[in-house]
Amino acid sequence: MSLFPVFLLGLICLGLCLLAYMFSPKGSDQTLWRSSLIITFICLYSMWAITYMAQLNPLIAPRRSDLRPEHFSGGHH
Amino acid sequence: MSLVQLYIPMEVAQPTVTRLGEQGQLQFRDLNPKVNAFQRAFVGEVRRLDEMERKLRFLAAQTEKAEIPVRPVPEHGDLLSRPRTTQQMDELESAINAHEARVLQLNNSHEALLRRSLELTEMKHVLHETASFFSAAEGRGEDLRRASSAGAGTGVNDSLLQSHYHMEEGGGPASGPATSSLTLGFVAGVIGRSKVPTLERVLWRALRGNLYLNYADIPESVIDPSTDEVVDKSVFVVFAHGREILAKSRKLAESLGATLYPVDGDVAARRESALAVVSRLEDLNAVLYNTNRTRKAELASVAEHLAVWLTIVRKEKAVYHTMNLFNYDRNRKCLIAEAWCPTLDIPNVQGILRSSSSPGFEEGTNKFTAGFQGIIDAYGVAKYGEVNPGLFTVITFPFLFAVMFGDIGHGILMASAAGYLCWKEKGLAKFDGGEIFDMMFGGRYIILLMGLFSIYTGAIYNDIFSQSMHIFHSGWEYRDVQANQTTSAHQVGIYPFGLDPAWHGTENMLIFSNSYKMKMAVLFGVAQMTFGICLQLWNFTHFKKRISILAEFVPQMIFMQAIFGYLCVTILYKWSVDWSTTDAAAPNLLNMLIFMFLSPGNVSEPLYAGQSLVQQILLLVAFICIPWMLLMKPLILKREHAAKVEAASHSRDSLDSAGPTDPNTSSASSHEEDPAAGVIASAGEGGEFNFGDIMIYQIIHTIEFCLGCISNTASYLRLWALSLAHAQLSAVLWDMTLASCFAMSPSAMPVGLVIGFAAWFIMTISVMLIMEGLSAFLHALRLHWMEFDNKFYEGSGKAFMPFAFRTILDDNAEE
Repeated sequence: MSLFPVFLLGLICLGLCLLAYMFSPKGSDQTLWRSSLIITFICLYSMWAITYMAQLNPLIAPRRSDLRPEHFSGGHH
Repeated sequence: MSLVQLYIPMEVAQPTVTRLGEQGQLQFRDLNPKVNAFQRAFVGEVRRLDEMERKLRFLAAQTEKAEIPVRPVPEHGDLLSRPRTTQQMDELESAINAHEARVLQLNNSHEALLRRSLELTEMKHVLHETASFFSAAEGRGEDLRRASSAGAGTGVNDSLLQSHYHMEEGGGPASGPATSSLTLGFVAGVIGRSKVPTLERVLWRALRGNLYLNYADIPESVIDPSTDEVVDKSVFVVFAHGREILAKSRKLAESLGATLYPVDGDVAARRESALAVVSRLEDLNAVLYNTNRTRKAELASVAEHLAVWLTIVRKEKAVYHTMNLFNYDRNRKCLIAEAWCPTLDIPNVQGILRSSSSPGFEEGTNKFTAGFQGIIDAYGVAKYGEVNPGLFTVITFPFLFAVMFGDIGHGILMASAAGYLCWKEKGLAKFDGGEIFDMMFGGRYIILLMGLFSIYTGAIYNDIFSQSMHIFHSGWEYRDVQANQTTSAHQVGIYPFGLDPAWHGTENMLIFSNSYKMKMAVLFGVAQMTFGICLQLWNFTHFKKRISILAEFVPQMIFMQAIFGYLCVTILYKWSVDWSTTDAAAPNLLNMLIFMFLSPGNVSEPLYAGQSLVQQILLLVAFICIPWMLLMKPLILKREHAAKVEAASHSRDSLDSAGPTDPNTSSASSHEEDPAAGVIASAGEGGEFNFGDIMIYQIIHTIEFCLGCISNTASYLRLWALSLAHAQLSAVLWDMTLASCFAMSPSAMPVGLVIGFAAWFIMTISVMLIMEGLSAFLHALRLHWMEFDNKFYEGSGKAFMPFAFRTILDDNAEE
């Protein structure tokens, strides 16, 4: 329950961006490759990070009334 | 983009331009714009090729009429992609001429034969019908004779005279004056069926009713060879007596478009001519059949080469049209051309010019980016040197789409459909499936990326056809569960990837996902807009507008970040704080932002210490940015202009003062300074400085930006609304179709499931994929055009239109 995974994956994402910048296929499409890969990594990472952080310290908990006790009796207690 | 100048020797000009056209990377400039089209250098060639094209079009029309399939252009024709020599073109021209002449001749004889056969057919019908008229008329003649002999006892001559008199005066029918010497003349012919009533009326009036008209329809309809229309015709016979009247009725019938046929009054002669007509008709039909066959064979041989020839001729014509744009240098016997060329492609062009036989290079345009660039070009074509948003749209567009469309199942369906189009693209490129299919096909790579990103966002939302997947261990656990009682879960961890499946189907799921998706929309929106503002930097440095960086980019950035950047920071901060361990309750961020404006310095629900001061400073900075954006640029421009004007007047003053005092040096110095003065004067006149205009432009720009920041951020909330709508709609669809089938009794379930699944699948494709997909597509489009592009993109450029055979042939095909 900490921000550690967010930073860790942020670093990994940064590393991937650097790799994409350095190892994009040469040629006339190099700029396209670079920008596409980097934007893709940033988008995917930020979406994951936002979702993760939103669940980090939730203000409400899931609530339901259709649970059956017999499912939970043998479980954790 | 570079301007290149080509010197092409006259002898090789045509093959060189042909190769350049195959390559399609140069947009040639017209070097003699004042010369009209008829006075250009290669008018003769263009006219000759025009003539050839006309003949080929004629042949194409003929083959189409004869329903002969034209062989399509092969991929690698012998003459297609190589330059043609003059001799080859001459041969081609003579071949086309020969074919055209032969087809024309065959057409003419075919038409003549057809006309002849039509006449004979009509003749046959006329003979046939008149025969029946005559047999009827003879019977009636007997009746008449009998009636006259019975009724007219005295004064036959008198009554004859009388009857003539009556005819001339009253126009009523001659009443029973016929004698045994009755000589009825007649006119027989064929007329269009629609004209029969007209003919009848006209004849009746003109001859004052003194006639007997009989007509019969020809059962088969005939094709008029001159107009190719199907006409129904009728045979008519006009009986009248008196040469004058007959001549008159003949003329009237001819003027109405009837064809008259000589028919003998004698029965035997009629029968004879009928037989002759039939035999001639048979001969004629045989000839006609042969002619038709020869013509078809001729056209079929033409159809083999027609498409190739047409392509060659069109290419040649385009080559000479292009060569007409060049300048002819008489001294060096060469053509001079100027063209715009993408700088990257210059080596290719040089390669073409050097080598005499070069194979085709790779396609210049990228099929992958074409669709995305189309999205941007629909908004505006980039000014030369401007940052092209198409580059970023390649990813951001499908991603924003996917945020609204997140569902693994729908993403897989969409990606596989688009993947199929990409996989089979070579074959499908030629398939003509209508406008909608072409649109889908053109955007296949966009759709593929949209599908792939939807799979990812679906995994984050944990939605697969509105169901959730339980891959990792859930971060929530239910304890002390009792039947029929509301139970809240306890947090035991964080779901590592995406939304926790424990939320699926809970009572307060919407509350949570609303808050989450709304905040995500704001975060993505502010991030994309900030990126857009940053892109201005490239434009400003490229167009050397240093003032704009300081007077526009910096204040805009500060304004944006002071309000909405701050909002994003608070969102992230609020998420990272564990509010269960703090004393205060979690503040409402929306209220915080509103009260930051309404009552600055007054924080009712504190988020962090020192919040009030920070917010006051941010607000102050944001407000300072407004006059900064508004005034700085116009004032700087005004000062620069004033300095320029002053410098100009100074130099003039010095000239004036230097002139008269030192007459010896004035002649020498005037040579040096006159041009300078001229330059300054012209600069002052050319760049008319209007402070009012600049100020108004800046006011509009500032208001647009400040209000835009607020409305655009709100506009990004559509990401939240649409993704919520998508998830809810797909959940409802599941509940209404498949979920209700699971509740059926075991005996009804198999049938119910088949029907339920069919309904669910069809609705998934039509409503969820197509309708919802279109709506999300349009919203993503809007976000790119209105919210992203307007931060930096002017799009006031002109499209680059290189001279390429590909586009020329495509245009011709569309016509």
